[in-house]
Amino acid sequence: MRPASPVPVAGPYDVVPGPALLAGTAEGPGLAAHRDRHGPLPDLDLDTLLDLTTRARVRGRGGAGFPFATKLRAAAGRRRPVVVVNAGEGEPASAKDAALVGAAPHLVLDGAVTTARALGAREVHLVLPGERPDVAAALRFAARERDDRLRVHAHVADARFVAGQETAVLELLAGRPGFPVTAWQPASVAGHRRRPTVLSNAETWAHVGLLAHRGVAGYARHGTDREPGTTLLTLAVRGRRATVREVPYGARLRDVLPPEAWGQPALLGGFHGSWVTWETLASLRVSVDRLRALGTPLGAGVVLVPAPGECPLRLTSRIVDYLAGQSAGRCGPCLNGLPALASALRAVAAGSGRTDRLTALAGLVERRGACAHPDGTARLARSLLAALLGEVDAHLRGGCPALAGTALGAPTRRLHAVPAAPEGAA
Amino acid sequence: MTRLRVDWPACRGRGLCQEVFPELIDLDEWGYPVLDGPVPDDQVARARDAVRVCPTLALRLVGG
Ligand code: SF4
Ligand code: SF4
Repeated sequence: MRPASPVPVAGPYDVVPGPALLAGTAEGPGLAAHRDRHGPLPDLDLDTLLDLTTRARVRGRGGAGFPFATKLRAAAGRRRPVVVVNAGEGEPASAKDAALVGAAPHLVLDGAVTTARALGAREVHLVLPGERPDVAAALRFAARERDDRLRVHAHVADARFVAGQETAVLELLAGRPGFPVTAWQPASVAGHRRRPTVLSNAETWAHVGLLAHRGVAGYARHGTDREPGTTLLTLAVRGRRATVREVPYGARLRDVLPPEAWGQPALLGGFHGSWVTWETLASLRVSVDRLRALGTPLGAGVVLVPAPGECPLRLTSRIVDYLAGQSAGRCGPCLNGLPALASALRAVAAGSGRTDRLTALAGLVERRGACAHPDGTARLARSLLAALLGEVDAHLRGGCPALAGTALGAPTRRLHAVPAAPEGAA
Repeated sequence: MTRLRVDWPACRGRGLCQEVFPELIDLDEWGYPVLDGPVPDDQVARARDAVRVCPTLALRLVGG
């Protein structure tokens, strides 16, 4: 049996209306309302689109933050290009693409269609989340509302964590099971059936769509000079409904986090993300560059906060148990290394393990698989040692302070609040 | 710069590559190859041998 996700897969969420992508969505997601709001879709040639996306520094919102214009440039001028919208999230803690597709599916499609036209692509593929049939239906419905004179193909991805990895999506498109395979060339050069493929996540496409409508000046009304525009975040306190918010780059994280998160460490970037202490979190601004430089990348924009008083070690351990079970089991180091990492982490959380074993295992799985799953899992494990070493040490010296709720020897410094009922929010 | 790359889903971890090129290839605790950096120019022939012995065609020389 694969361990279940500690955060419900396809869980409920609230959406806070936002300044750009999520603006004016009260009129509903239909095509007429969308056209009323944004006007007709402008026809952009490739040079214009390249210029816009370069100047607005549009970056992938699926996790890696790769510059969109670089992909587009790589695919340009090659034969029979393909455009792919990846609307699957894979990450249980993320709901932002679901929220976006529910609220503004035509902005997503506008981005893909503009790009397909600029590239001369005749095919657009939509990859729909198997775990969220309502989202899949919303995007299918929106695609049927329009006539873009393009062939639109829909595919349903499995609800597996790694199903959203780029090569897994390409496998799915090719009619094979959606497992990652080794990529010898970038998808923009040799992707779907070896054709040049611009594959981006749903939110990225919506930014391209918005930029096509507004131009750089309009798009850059939000955000900073270096990072124009907004980005979607999923803010999740475990045991509560998640909230999807659109925030401008440069916003202070503490200003957008719910009060239940204050004072708590958080997992920035979700299950493949990094732990940060509250002190760090409170000082951070939403920025792909800054957060990457700090070694705590924003990823797909998830901020996951433990339930009040929940032990972050046990939560990490449960996440890694889940992630180990999500390994597609095809690459030896991942198949063997992730379960070993999971058991090393369980031992540390139980107060009996060794941190050097954790570090060694993290090193043994990194960059040793067909996809980024082992790397993301290793990042999570390493970040625990980097950000919460005091907490880890406390476990190794005297067990879990949260679980025991007792002194670790005087004088005691409580490293995180003690819950009324241990693991009550689980 | 030439490097060896492993097609991980294809690699069965039998370690034949390590036997023919132990200077660059190590095995982890599960028997899968650990590649120790790029292939030095004077060792490219050895790297080719490693590629050739792999029963599942999981090794490739990449870069130039
Ligand atoms: S690295 Fe792991 S998750 Fe990725 S393809 Fe290989 S076995 Fe599957
Ligand atoms: S010889 Fe091939 S299958 Fe065997 S360990 Fe080396 S790369 Fe893997």
